[in-house]
Amino acid sequence: MSDLALAPRYNDAVVKKFVIATVFWAVVAFLVGVILASELAWPSVNLGLSFTNFGRLRPVHTSAAIFAFGGSALFGTSFYIVQRTCRVRLFGGEALANFIFWGYQFFIVMAALSYVMGFSQGQEYAEPEWHLDLWLTVVWVTYGVVFIGTVFKREEPHIYVANWFFMAFILTIAVLHIGNNLAVPVSLFTAKSYNVASGVQNAMIQWWYGHNAVGFFLTAGFLGMMYYFIPKASGRPVYSYRISIVHFWSLVFMYIWAGPHHLHWTALPDWTQTLGMAFSIMLWMPSWGGMINGIMTLSGAWDKLRTDPGLRFSVTAVGFYGMATFEGPVMSIRDVNALSHYTDWGIGHVHSGALGWVAFISFGALYYLVPVLWKREALYSKTLASWHFWTATLGIVFYITSMWVAGIMQGLMWRAYDSFGFLQYSFSESVSAVHPYYVIRMLGGVLFLAGMLIMVYNLIQTVRSPTTDKREAMPAGVALAGE
Amino acid sequence: MEVEAGDIVAGAMMLVFGLIGLVLASGATDNEMYVFGLSLAGFAAVFGVGLIRRHFDKAEAYARGEDWHV
Repeated sequence: MSDLALAPRYNDAVVKKFVIATVFWAVVAFLVGVILASELAWPSVNLGLSFTNFGRLRPVHTSAAIFAFGGSALFGTSFYIVQRTCRVRLFGGEALANFIFWGYQFFIVMAALSYVMGFSQGQEYAEPEWHLDLWLTVVWVTYGVVFIGTVFKREEPHIYVANWFFMAFILTIAVLHIGNNLAVPVSLFTAKSYNVASGVQNAMIQWWYGHNAVGFFLTAGFLGMMYYFIPKASGRPVYSYRISIVHFWSLVFMYIWAGPHHLHWTALPDWTQTLGMAFSIMLWMPSWGGMINGIMTLSGAWDKLRTDPGLRFSVTAVGFYGMATFEGPVMSIRDVNALSHYTDWGIGHVHSGALGWVAFISFGALYYLVPVLWKREALYSKTLASWHFWTATLGIVFYITSMWVAGIMQGLMWRAYDSFGFLQYSFSESVSAVHPYYVIRMLGGVLFLAGMLIMVYNLIQTVRSPTTDKREAMPAGVALAGE
Repeated sequence: MEVEAGDIVAGAMMLVFGLIGLVLASGATDNEMYVFGLSLAGFAAVFGVGLIRRHFDKAEAYARGEDWHV
């Protein structure tokens, strides 16, 4: 049966809503990022107001980027993919799908509002207080029920590999979120709580959560995206389906142990640090296996990189995935970490993953999805999409190279001793030394934001412009389960 | 036209969340809980109205012979 005949069976309304939210939150996340980068270069940019100081705006940026932009992209694409690869409409009906969309947006807005008002648990990437955590749990469990329920009622015997990645993402994030946010509120009417764990146990649980937010939210979920949209856009089947299965099981087994590498040289027992380091290094194998599998899917279709800017984003994203997952294990080695930890090298590493991998793979999916969902033959302008690609890529290069230089400089300055055994540099000297790199980083962010605004214009015109041809048939599928 | 189980589940959830929101706002000891409580009650009310609107839109679509309405 053709995709067109099946199309009315699918709930694409909720996918469209998530696509719009993804684009909106991307602009917010990148804009706040640029403001924060400016504050770090010129502190007076915070205007002296409590609401706009770095400490309050920083979680707004990270939450907008990871949970609002990344999360909306994951919800939308997972709902699109699971329906098509299982040949069924979403489980639970329209009401639950709408609740997931609006409930998640409500969480994001409430969390951002609480940060600027000064309320936070003080745990990185887990800043929302207990009442917001409970609300997110309700939304997330509903998401799990709808997604897994759809897989259960599938009309296709095989569960396509992308759905395995999405299910691992949903289940693990639920466990991580609940485990790390076990807290006792001061009272039912007070937005203040205390975590049940304290001291080093609290730190260990926090980084078990934090690193696996990277592993399962920012990696597994987006790999699900990769395994669907690259074959669809290139018109080629996954290079090796066998590798994709090995990729899945090895990745989910190993990632969960890697958290302690965030706590090298701390009160955490040495054996635990070594365990985290060893599993981080072992992660090279599944990460690179998956990367090679994604890139090699283009075998026989490399020419499409010249004509399909969306596919160019997706494949470049996989390249950045390989680069970031090479750099991460290097940084997890205890002696390397002695130099890199607490420096801007870490910020550069995170952004090569967040901008290069997460944002680029999402852009590739958006450039594919918008014409399909709004039934347009093609994008309004491939030239604008190419401008977006090169502007954003240049922005990432500015960002990560400046942070590498700044970070290694900081690490070397902090560990330098003079001939008398005193520290050679004061901390403030290291702050002054990195100022030019902070300005370059801000410029990189401006370029990335400018590229995003080009994309917004291009997508709006794709939907609204009378010059964009209407699509008569949905895209033909390649050898994917359920299509 | 049959009412989907999801509509009933979502409607019941809105009832509970709306009440919880009002209780939290009424006893709030800080700005954050007050804002959250009122917003939760407002969210539940608006979502509930949306559920009712979609129900009647869908009923009219069925009456016109349209199978699918989102």
